[in-house]
Amino acid sequence: MNRIKASPERVMAELAGRGIRVERSHPDFPELLAAVGLEAPGRLPAHFRGDIHAQALTSCLCGRLLSPPVGGLVLDMCAAPGGKTTHMADLMENQGMLVANEPSQPRQSALSGNLSRLGVLNTVITAYQAQQFPMRQRFDHILADVPCSGEGGIRGEGLYREWAEAPPSLLDLQRKILVRGFDLLTPGGVMLYSTCTYAPEENEAALHHLLTTRDRVDVLPLEPGLPYEPGVTSWNGSRYDQRVQKSVRLYPHRVDSVGFFMAFIRRKSG
Amino acid sequence: MLLAYLEKRFGIAGTLFRQYLFFKRSKGWRILRASEHLEKGVCRLKVSVVGIPAFHRVGAFIKPSTRFIQIFGVYASRARLELTTEELQRLLSGREIESNLPDEDGYVVLFHQGSPLGLGLLLKGRLRSQLPKDMRTSPRIHQKGLLSNK
Repeated sequence: MNRIKASPERVMAELAGRGIRVERSHPDFPELLAAVGLEAPGRLPAHFRGDIHAQALTSCLCGRLLSPPVGGLVLDMCAAPGGKTTHMADLMENQGMLVANEPSQPRQSALSGNLSRLGVLNTVITAYQAQQFPMRQRFDHILADVPCSGEGGIRGEGLYREWAEAPPSLLDLQRKILVRGFDLLTPGGVMLYSTCTYAPEENEAALHHLLTTRDRVDVLPLEPGLPYEPGVTSWNGSRYDQRVQKSVRLYPHRVDSVGFFMAFIRRKSG
Repeated sequence: MLLAYLEKRFGIAGTLFRQYLFFKRSKGWRILRASEHLEKGVCRLKVSVVGIPAFHRVGAFIKPSTRFIQIFGVYASRARLELTTEELQRLLSGREIESNLPDEDGYVVLFHQGSPLGLGLLLKGRLRSQLPKDMRTSPRIHQKGLLSNK
């Protein structure tokens, strides 16, 4: 639910009035609702008005765990199509400044469309390659929801047939984005690194790469409020820095949502 | 010019926009909330898109965008109309409705169930929709079950 435009009470009353059962999907976050059995939410008047946006519960956690402050300065490094961006704008109460970065022109159109529909007035869009985002502007809060192999979305046989392992170029890109994101942090600034895949090569290995190539990296604990597993410290013959255990793995069979990996990183002050 | 138009046509006070910036583009204007971060550093980035569309140029005229009206239309004190569900369905299907609004010909903020949806165009006592085409053609929108409360 988009609180920039709608009140929780109005949205719930409208959906309930149309026979759509609505319930809280997370005990701590009132804007996250589950509409049981609803098909095609994008065709509802509430969607057109910008009162609601359909997104996986685990995707919504990214904004909540990064916790961008009202009035703050935030960078979303890989923003399109804008579900997490617009959620963060909601959490920022449409104040401060959010820089939504997306280099792909078609994806920028989708991003821009969602920003408009949801009434987001605190956001500008840039088109840098995320791994080359200019160093002249630093940020206190950064979301690096990087391109990935998308294993977390595989919940049926049909999708499985299309899945392929992440190529080395993707692994390289993810690491570069993560490192650039860290370099863009102000002292004391925080970044959430996330993927919707289980592959340790794309998750813990990327985090390990950051930990072994940069100083002043803190990995902070996360509490998603849903069942999770800690990051793995070894995989396929590779061993990772012990600090990766503070990252979280969310599995569909435990949270009934898209699988995700998240790591919360802080640049030490001083 | 933009704020004067909003005040004159809709009664939307210009002071409402003290915290916002308008950016002129070839096809119209966009609106962004002012922030100290813009001046302190974000202005040094190469920005592709700013905020959301606020006004479009329509020939010699300006038209507030649907999304702008959905945010600020609630402040309109004139040239506004609360539609019944039947009236909204009629407009969405491409037909006109009769209107007794006292306002001069021009744009009107359309409300439904208390929420501003966008604009209609009032011409000689008849109102036609200026809502986006994708809203007009969506079949689910037209189903009474979705536009009316059970």
